[in-house]
Amino acid sequence: MNAPARVLTALNTSFFSKYKKLIIAALLIIFLFILGETVVSDFLSVQQILLTIKLSSFIALFGLCQMIVIAAGGSGLDLSVGYTATITAVLTAKLMDGRNDNIWIAILAALALGLIIGVLNGFFISYIKLPPLVVTLAMSQMVQGAINVYTAGKNITGKPSPILQIIAAKTTGFIPNILFLLILLTIIVMLILQKTRIGVLLFGAGANPTAAHLSGVDVKRVRFFSYVVSGILASLIGLLLLGNMGIAFKDMGSNYVMPSIAAAVVGGVSLTGGDGNYLGVVLGAIFLQTLTNLLVALGWGDAGKWTGFGIVLFLLLIVYVSNPRKR
Amino acid sequence: MNILEVKNVKKNFGGVVALSGASLTCKEGRITGLLGANGSGKSTLSKIIAGVYTPDSGEITYLGKKIHYRNPHEAKQQGIGMVYQNLSLVPELTVWQNIVLGDEKNAGYFLDDKNARERAADIIHKLLPNIDIEKKVFELTPGEMQVVEIAKAVSRKPKLLILDEPTAALEKAQVISLFNMMKELASSGVAIIFTSHRLWEVIEICHDLTIFRNGQNVGSMDFDKDEKDVKKIIFYITGSQSETGIAKTCAETCGETRLSIRNLNLGTTLKNISFDLKKGEILGVGGLAGQGQQELMLALAGNFAKISCDAKIDGKPIKLTRPSNAIRNGIVLVPGDRETEGLFSKHSVFTNLIFPKIGIEKKSFIVPHAKLRKECEQIANILALKAASLDMPVSTLSGGNQQKVVIGKWLGLETKVLLLSDPAKGIDIGAKTDLYSYIIDQVRNRGMSVVLYASDTKELIEYCDRILIMYEGSIAATLDTEEITEENIIRASMRV
Amino acid sequence: MQGKSMKTGKHILRDYASKPEFSSLLILLVMFVLTAVLQKNFFEIKSIMRNINAFAPLILVTMGQAVVIISGGIDLSSGTALSLLTCVLTSIMKKNDPITGLYAIIITFLIALLIGFMNGFGIGYLRIPPVISTFATSFIWLGIALFLRPTPGGESVPWFGVFYNFDTLKDTSAFFSLLSGFLPPALLLVVIGCILWYVISKTRTGRYIYAVGGNSESAYESGINTARTQIVAFMINSIFIFLAALFFVGQTGSGDARMGDPLTLKSIAAAVVGGIALSGGRGNVYFALVGALILSLVNKIIFFANIPYAYQTLVGGAIVIVAIAGSQAYISYSTKIKEIKIG
Repeated sequence: MNAPARVLTALNTSFFSKYKKLIIAALLIIFLFILGETVVSDFLSVQQILLTIKLSSFIALFGLCQMIVIAAGGSGLDLSVGYTATITAVLTAKLMDGRNDNIWIAILAALALGLIIGVLNGFFISYIKLPPLVVTLAMSQMVQGAINVYTAGKNITGKPSPILQIIAAKTTGFIPNILFLLILLTIIVMLILQKTRIGVLLFGAGANPTAAHLSGVDVKRVRFFSYVVSGILASLIGLLLLGNMGIAFKDMGSNYVMPSIAAAVVGGVSLTGGDGNYLGVVLGAIFLQTLTNLLVALGWGDAGKWTGFGIVLFLLLIVYVSNPRKR
Repeated sequence: MNILEVKNVKKNFGGVVALSGASLTCKEGRITGLLGANGSGKSTLSKIIAGVYTPDSGEITYLGKKIHYRNPHEAKQQGIGMVYQNLSLVPELTVWQNIVLGDEKNAGYFLDDKNARERAADIIHKLLPNIDIEKKVFELTPGEMQVVEIAKAVSRKPKLLILDEPTAALEKAQVISLFNMMKELASSGVAIIFTSHRLWEVIEICHDLTIFRNGQNVGSMDFDKDEKDVKKIIFYITGSQSETGIAKTCAETCGETRLSIRNLNLGTTLKNISFDLKKGEILGVGGLAGQGQQELMLALAGNFAKISCDAKIDGKPIKLTRPSNAIRNGIVLVPGDRETEGLFSKHSVFTNLIFPKIGIEKKSFIVPHAKLRKECEQIANILALKAASLDMPVSTLSGGNQQKVVIGKWLGLETKVLLLSDPAKGIDIGAKTDLYSYIIDQVRNRGMSVVLYASDTKELIEYCDRILIMYEGSIAATLDTEEITEENIIRASMRV
Repeated sequence: MQGKSMKTGKHILRDYASKPEFSSLLILLVMFVLTAVLQKNFFEIKSIMRNINAFAPLILVTMGQAVVIISGGIDLSSGTALSLLTCVLTSIMKKNDPITGLYAIIITFLIALLIGFMNGFGIGYLRIPPVISTFATSFIWLGIALFLRPTPGGESVPWFGVFYNFDTLKDTSAFFSLLSGFLPPALLLVVIGCILWYVISKTRTGRYIYAVGGNSESAYESGINTARTQIVAFMINSIFIFLAALFFVGQTGSGDARMGDPLTLKSIAAAVVGGIALSGGRGNVYFALVGALILSLVNKIIFFANIPYAYQTLVGGAIVIVAIAGSQAYISYSTKIKEIKIG
């Protein structure tokens, strides 16, 4: 095997890929920041870094939803997370009305909404065996439709509880509060996936559903629950989105869907299922956000931003995911 | 004339040595057998000759010229055909489309389908007279698929034909047709390389033999001159004398009924199957390939939710509708295809070994890594599992060691009935001996019961106390200890 | 040649009915009937022409998508590629210079092929999973489109309208005036697409597209150049998108960097409704056309059934799920997919 192919294959050996990919993601982020500093002063400032992380938090949060359904296997994807978050934001804004008293009701409502959507997704995908791409797409359209029905002819009113605003939008000193949440979540998720039964079942069902089934695991149920969890998480994220924006509007969540999938892929989650590391997803989200910021800072406008984004992502994929045939 | 000469070919894959100096000669019109354990290099050598891999060093001369193929296509164009162990068919295309795949002829600008159909029918009807060439390949049985694969290779009119374990899925009648075709091809000048794990097949059809061990050839025989000495061949393959014989017999150790199956029915696949399995007994399942044996194994493991069956284990009724029911009652399965059914290839040996335990035991939310690691090390010891470390991906292990992982993962759970679905297929003799000695120890000394399906009749004869012969989804005959001979098995399988 | 056993009429019907495509034809029939019932003037020429014009873009993009899916891939960049092509067309054409229309067509066609090549290269040679690869390239097309046309606009030569309405050429010949009465050019574009696919499907490449999508390892081991096949599949897809771009610019005279976005995911859903399996290797491109028709008719039905606007998206999504559930149920019922293994 020639040297470049050997390097690529070494990078792709599944055993080392978890750690290698994390390191590469971290290195790339650092690289981008340094590059940005040469273009725009203050790019590499603490303030800017923290701002970037804050903006990327939501991508990272939605990225968790994606990681869970993707890792469970069966070409899992959840395109409905955006509108799930949106409908929760829209419906609970009125409930909370800017006060803290009703926040528990709002949380319950969020859980219920996420549960319903997740159960529907999981049912059609896991038990009726429909393709996840199309089901979650159709679901997102239905949820969007439900939002339309609810908001038909009237303005969306309501404001989030101050607690949500504190978590999502405010800072402690100069550190955005949502960063604390993200760190806490990352630790919890990684502990659950690496040390508990949930992780073993999830990755087993994704890696080889037949072997998992013959070992006594109910693969359909695992995949079903992955969508339920994704729906509930997306819904809760909707509360945070509301806290961040201060108001709810019809397209709040839809711009996060594709980036959340990209963050998962950049973060090392295999699209066929069976492995994944949330820290990687978080780093992936930060990378994508940093990249976007850099491109905006370069002043190339929307055109430049998207073209640059696409090219860099493509190049990254070549290094990460491409798979030269062995000889 | 020498069609093929291989001199001192070496090949390694990322540090693992597959061939350390292989040599081979194939003459026009002769059938050369390649024998050797898995991992001995014969498959790798075949693939190098066919252009799938490129050698690291060494010389290959084909039709008098040195060759360096970069891909299988080049080798094919030069007249080298190969039939693989892993089929290269496209399930959604029809039989004839698959036979001509990659070799289609045009009529004008468009594909000449009429010619293709004729060509395909000509060849495959010699091997399977009644097959419908318009069927899609996914509708065929594994044996029929193998035959399509062979027809595909033959249709290219190769000068050198490599057949890698072509008989694994075939019934006796199909093997006979294949051998006839091979003789016909040989007499028209084609050189054939034939590999099989079944010694007697190789002895019957081959003109000469080359035996591999540890990546190089260690012996050869020319049946025009040498005697067909089975013991000598086994000696070459294993480097040691073969040992057979069971420590104790069932008469001494078998106890009461452990598993009782009555009226097992699964659609049209399995019909009215009933049998008893005693403690400490090894019950074989035989018959021609594809008569429902593998489905029976899966059914006993609880794989089919729609099954209807009265099952009792140690007197307690159970429902075989989900694998977890079976596993909780001590019925565990070592499936027929370890890669697709038994292992998580990219996960570590450790993860594979602990999976069923974690999957079944709902109580353990947190995985006790330290304790489980000790258990896994013990398991590895018991089975003589050779792996660099427990954290290596299981895909890096040899076939035999992978199979040990597949069995090893059940060791942490109480096993009353071990279902083995062709456990020794594609495994070298060393690993096979390890596996069976463990199994027999469990059976004779600890009272474990075994249901063994083996595609190799000799394996059934050697290990089983009783054999159930299956035919078209039901049990056609039962052979008890004294009745177990190859002749009786074949007779019962063919309903003679 | 060995003869096949004689097939009775009943056997032929059973063979045909067991194909998943059959269910989509059934659904189409139902949709047609419903629409005809709800839309009073459904059978009037004018209304048929209007419908064909409305449906054509989705049909074309869906057929291209179907080819890609059959080859084992998927194209999430269809929509932005379509937008890009409209922007290219309207950036090359100058209103007062008729010949620029010809230049525009040629150059845009080449760019379409280039787009297909790049997508196919990423998937075929670099072996990046198609979902994420075309996701990345979709941004590249979007960026370039925005560069050419930051806001919708651009120029178009007057005769370009022929791709929308034959009336445009009524001054050149009375023949066109006659045609414009009953034949929408969009129909011809779809026919061109169908002919393109028909020709390809009868060649080696057509067979290989199915082979590579069915089992790319087997295809490779049979000597097929899988990378090249996948690249060709994407280039065919681009040609379909090109045809749709011609239609759009013919209709609106302007290019818009965002107009294609909704079509991407719709084309995938339409292909699935039309019986194309997302796993690749099976399906019929003409039935993908049927799938696109079904989805389009569904929207019409919702509109004409006087379902309140607010509910339309909701019902639309639900119907997609029902449609693919039906299609899937049929597939499960009538086929058993066995994995290839020995013994």
